[in-house]
Amino acid sequence: MAQKTNSSLFQGARIRPYGERGYLLDQLSISKRFVIEQALSMTPPDGFDEYVIGADNLLILFQWPESEGVLHEWLSGLQCEILDGLNHSRRIEVPVRYDGPDLATVAVATGLSEAEVVAIHSAPEYRVRMMGFAPGFPYLDGLDERLHLERKASPRDRIEPGSVGIGGSHAGIYSVASPGGWHLLGRTDFPLFQAEQARGTVSDARQVFALAAGDTVKFLVI
Amino acid sequence: MPVIEIISTGVGLSVQDYGRPGWRRFGVPPGGVMDRSSAAAANRLLGNRADAPVLEVLMQGAKLRVLEDTWIAIAGADLGCAIAPWTACAVSAGTILQFPMNRSGLWAYVAVPGGFDADRWFGSASVDSRNGLGRPLERGVQLSAVTSASSFKYERVGRRVLAAELQRDFSRPMEFELLPGPQFDLFSSQARADLVSSEWTVSPRSDRTGFRLEGPALNVPDSIRSEPVLPGSFQIPGSGLPIVTMVDGPTVGGYAKIAILREADLDWLAQCRPGTKIGFNLCS
Repeated sequence: MAQKTNSSLFQGARIRPYGERGYLLDQLSISKRFVIEQALSMTPPDGFDEYVIGADNLLILFQWPESEGVLHEWLSGLQCEILDGLNHSRRIEVPVRYDGPDLATVAVATGLSEAEVVAIHSAPEYRVRMMGFAPGFPYLDGLDERLHLERKASPRDRIEPGSVGIGGSHAGIYSVASPGGWHLLGRTDFPLFQAEQARGTVSDARQVFALAAGDTVKFLVI
Repeated sequence: MPVIEIISTGVGLSVQDYGRPGWRRFGVPPGGVMDRSSAAAANRLLGNRADAPVLEVLMQGAKLRVLEDTWIAIAGADLGCAIAPWTACAVSAGTILQFPMNRSGLWAYVAVPGGFDADRWFGSASVDSRNGLGRPLERGVQLSAVTSASSFKYERVGRRVLAAELQRDFSRPMEFELLPGPQFDLFSSQARADLVSSEWTVSPRSDRTGFRLEGPALNVPDSIRSEPVLPGSFQIPGSGLPIVTMVDGPTVGGYAKIAILREADLDWLAQCRPGTKIGFNLCS
């Protein structure tokens, strides 16, 4: 089922210039963002270079400066359809061993038992809001409010890939070894980012990245 | 046929080209050479494409053995190599190229005819070791040139010294041009004034992901919802001291961005050694 949207959907959208060739679109719902993503991949504006997804925003980069007029025109002429249920997305199950180094401190900080933390963390169907920070790192929406915690005051210098953590209102999975300030609840062997698959040129992102923005993630307790 | 063998990597040595843009939305940094204009100069001295893979030499210590007669061009930082920066020359097999000292700048670029022939990840030969992309160099690794000396058309190297007005002296004091960042208006007028009226010092805690600046702590607004981050952005974390995002830096972040360098100025900033004093002008 497709629903026709009228062309005024993006008229008057707030556009903030960012750098010489970039424009940020703000306050986008996931479905509006999806319409723009689809349109950028099928009928991009003149001089389009690439786009980057943020929490509720989208950066559109052009190949040359002073493209704001082109972008406005392109947005106001957008004749897209919103597809019900974002049907490009997939549901991915990620097995997790809940033996993370911060499980006990998260339990204390939230006033829950460790078993409750695990049950609450593994219950939701999470949605990948965006990828970023590192290749393949998913910011997951849907974390239960009881687990919303400030990031750690002193970040770890090295977090192993596969570490399953929470930070602020997001859940996430570290995709490469990196420093980081999230609370670590468990580990997974699920490969989020396979650098070796990126050898040569990559035509299909799915060869390299297990997830994409819009996908649903379910943690399975093992 | 290999043309260069690594004897020592020194402080830092990697193959770089213009990076792998197009994958930021999956969290892959654009990467590539830290100073595009110098890498392009080294390539152009040999008639290569500006974005052909080069060796990027960070400060002193690297040592290379030339394995066959070839042409080599060097541009960027002056690291005391026998081949002066901004020039190209013929080099015979057996020559040892050393980069023994740090006279000016941080990154020197070594080009060979056609560029280095290196494996690519996401279409780029650039090494991003944190993310497992590209092939890190170590002692004993041999690198080939795309064009061998015997097939290289020497006459294409019309000018073997880069025009003087294009050469850069990175020890010169610099003022850089800034554009307002996406959160410019969230910063106090005091913070905005401090940014342009203060003298800043490049911190030793700087690398390919970001350059930190030391100076007066700026007033920090609340953190923002995670937003895409471009190289050259001045992110202001809780300390109030700017982190300038570089090409290997994260693709999204939650710190407010007071300003962003003009793209052309990022190359030069990347060449400023720790301790260098720099200033900024805001253009609108």
